[in-house]
Amino acid sequence: MLQTERNGATTQRPSPSEHPPEAVRDPGPSPHRTEGGASRLLATGTRLLILIGSAAILSFNAGAAAPQGSTGTPGEHPYLEAHIKAAQRYTADHTQFQALKGPFPDGDGPAVTKACLTCHNQAGQQVMGTKHWLWRVPDKKYEEYGKGGWLINNFCISIRGGNYPACTKCHAGYGWKDSSFDFTKTENEDCLVCHDTTGDYMKDEAGLANPAVPLADVAQHVGRPGIANCGGCHFAGGGADATKHGDLDESLLNCKIDEDVHLSKQGAGMDCVDCHTTEGHHIAGPDYLLPANMQETPEYPGQKLGHMSCASCHGEAPHNSFVLNRHYRKVACQTCHIPEFARGGLATNMWWDWSTAGKTKDGRAYEVRDKDGDVTYATIHGSMVWKKNVVPTYRFWDGRMSFMLATDKLPAERPVWLNQTIGSYNDPNSKIWPFKVHEGNQPYDTQLDKLVVPHLYGDKGSGALWVDHDWPSAIKTGMEIAGLPYSGHYGFVRTNMIWPITHMVAPAKEALTCVNCHSEKSRLAGLKGFYLPGRDRSRGIDFLGWAAVLITCVAVVAHGSGRIFFKARKKRGSK
Amino acid sequence: MTRVLLYKRFERFWHWTQMLLIVGLLITGFDVHGSYHILGYAQAVDFHDAFALALMVLIVFAIFWHFTTGEWKQYIPTRKFLKEMAEFYLTGIFRGAPHPVRKSRTAKLNPLQRLAYLGFKLLIIPVQVTSGLIYFFYPNLNAHGWPTWTLKVAAEVHVLGAFLLLAFLIGHVYLTTTGTTPLTNLKAMIFGWELMEEEE
Repeated sequence: MLQTERNGATTQRPSPSEHPPEAVRDPGPSPHRTEGGASRLLATGTRLLILIGSAAILSFNAGAAAPQGSTGTPGEHPYLEAHIKAAQRYTADHTQFQALKGPFPDGDGPAVTKACLTCHNQAGQQVMGTKHWLWRVPDKKYEEYGKGGWLINNFCISIRGGNYPACTKCHAGYGWKDSSFDFTKTENEDCLVCHDTTGDYMKDEAGLANPAVPLADVAQHVGRPGIANCGGCHFAGGGADATKHGDLDESLLNCKIDEDVHLSKQGAGMDCVDCHTTEGHHIAGPDYLLPANMQETPEYPGQKLGHMSCASCHGEAPHNSFVLNRHYRKVACQTCHIPEFARGGLATNMWWDWSTAGKTKDGRAYEVRDKDGDVTYATIHGSMVWKKNVVPTYRFWDGRMSFMLATDKLPAERPVWLNQTIGSYNDPNSKIWPFKVHEGNQPYDTQLDKLVVPHLYGDKGSGALWVDHDWPSAIKTGMEIAGLPYSGHYGFVRTNMIWPITHMVAPAKEALTCVNCHSEKSRLAGLKGFYLPGRDRSRGIDFLGWAAVLITCVAVVAHGSGRIFFKARKKRGSK
Repeated sequence: MTRVLLYKRFERFWHWTQMLLIVGLLITGFDVHGSYHILGYAQAVDFHDAFALALMVLIVFAIFWHFTTGEWKQYIPTRKFLKEMAEFYLTGIFRGAPHPVRKSRTAKLNPLQRLAYLGFKLLIIPVQVTSGLIYFFYPNLNAHGWPTWTLKVAAEVHVLGAFLLLAFLIGHVYLTTTGTTPLTNLKAMIFGWELMEEEE
């Protein structure tokens, strides 16, 4: 009965290989605009009548729309049940495999990988094609997209200024310490970082296994990746816990239901990979070329890479209200259901000013922390601002981003957006989505008008900023290692990055309500170019309208007083 | 003088239900508009939608009633006594002059009433219903390719219509007091009966 419009639901998103960069910057024609107008209007007209009954009646329930299903008592939720018994699902007991008995030399990760590959003899080739291994888009044409390529970020800027060993602590491999790393050697892949279930596994510089890790024990207790495996790197994006994303930090490891209904053991008790499903070691999720799935098509999770959606589990009409369900055409689920990010008690980095880095006290590096323990100044990083419970920035987004490379000339506008959302109100594939906007100030070449990749991590005397605290040599060295031209003149430029918020989904009762957007104090005040009921109104019509009402009132009062006056006079006259 | 049933049972039911619904729509509508916050946006929207649906159902019944009973003829505009009516409201009423139009069962509306109510039925109500439906179904219409400015236009027309309706309501209520006594017309609308001179 509820026939909401499913436009674009069947639209195929372009796969990476058929997704040229032109398309990244230019949204294609909308699929439903090609339909004949007149017949559509007629069909709409008849449908109006059918819809109207159910619509208004159901809209009555909007206020009382309760979440479907229980919020879950620990142990009772079917999803959690499945996880409690996860250990029983494995068809192999890795403690019994001879190849994993070891002993493995301390810190010899590749030895473990070789042992893994004796049975999983296709896994090495699979991993080799993944983003987690390449740190680039697995597509030759766009391989400079990715943290291993020429992308610039607002945090530690770029790996390519000779910062490999520090950055690759999070690489799913062993030994990426410079640009000579061999991406074709399967034994350099790191199986354990994703598959360790003991929590004892740790990685050091260049991604090498920490020598203290009991490799044989860890190898014998491998399994399906849990939150801690993914979080080990993804919670630490930007260099440390809670820095980059805002909706991913260590608080999720053991969170209350209020912070994340899906990951919380009080809630669904899910793991990351329940949504980010995997096929041949390719993990579902949008990337530099693969757009986020905006259509909320009720495909099952993992049907297609990048196509996990809320609707996969929650269906097309999760609310008890026609009006609410219909919002999905223009509003992503995340917009209402993630009222704020960084809700787990950990502040996320909102501002990173590299220009102040390098100051020392008595010749030594120092740092300043605020009362919550967040670093507000560090010699090696510069000035920072951290925030908790942040109200997101909202944008119309079609799931794609454009990116700036270190080799691109700076645009004229300030601040420079290192990445930018694509989408608009008029684009039927775009929806309002919540974002974290991160502001930064980083070095650039004032003559060539390009960003620079400084050398941050290195030995004393190498020019690395973190030990030598000197910008000119850090930039010069970084650009030399990267093999990029540098004029020798640098300044600092304001740079913004924008991160989609999609984790930390709150319980239904904490979702935004109508007036968060539909009011004068709308959260969407920054989104212009369309009429939003409750937020927008025509001052002219209000003026005309009140004038008409006022004139009527004046006329009524005047006429009525006239009648009373003359009647009274007549009465007196007749007396 | 004789008592005449001027307003039949359905007519009175229709009138007063319509009154309640329109007042409800005005109160909730201006709440949605943001002129004040009594119910709050979410509840105001729900009630507004529900009242609107009820009013549309009522209108369908009223149209049916008007045509099956022939009562629609009461609203045919006429120029007869139009000038006299205007003069009555502008001057005569103050002098205590007699009402220039005599009501009868078959012609219970004076020419000014005919014009006003016909305008109400053929202009304000259709404009409000149409703009309201477009407003409500805008997301679905937009999905069918209706341009995005549709919502803005529909909303602004709807708001302007609401102001006119409010002005109409104020004038209408006031003019009910211009009967033989200030409450004569109101009583007739409630109970249906009005005292009239014998029909010839």
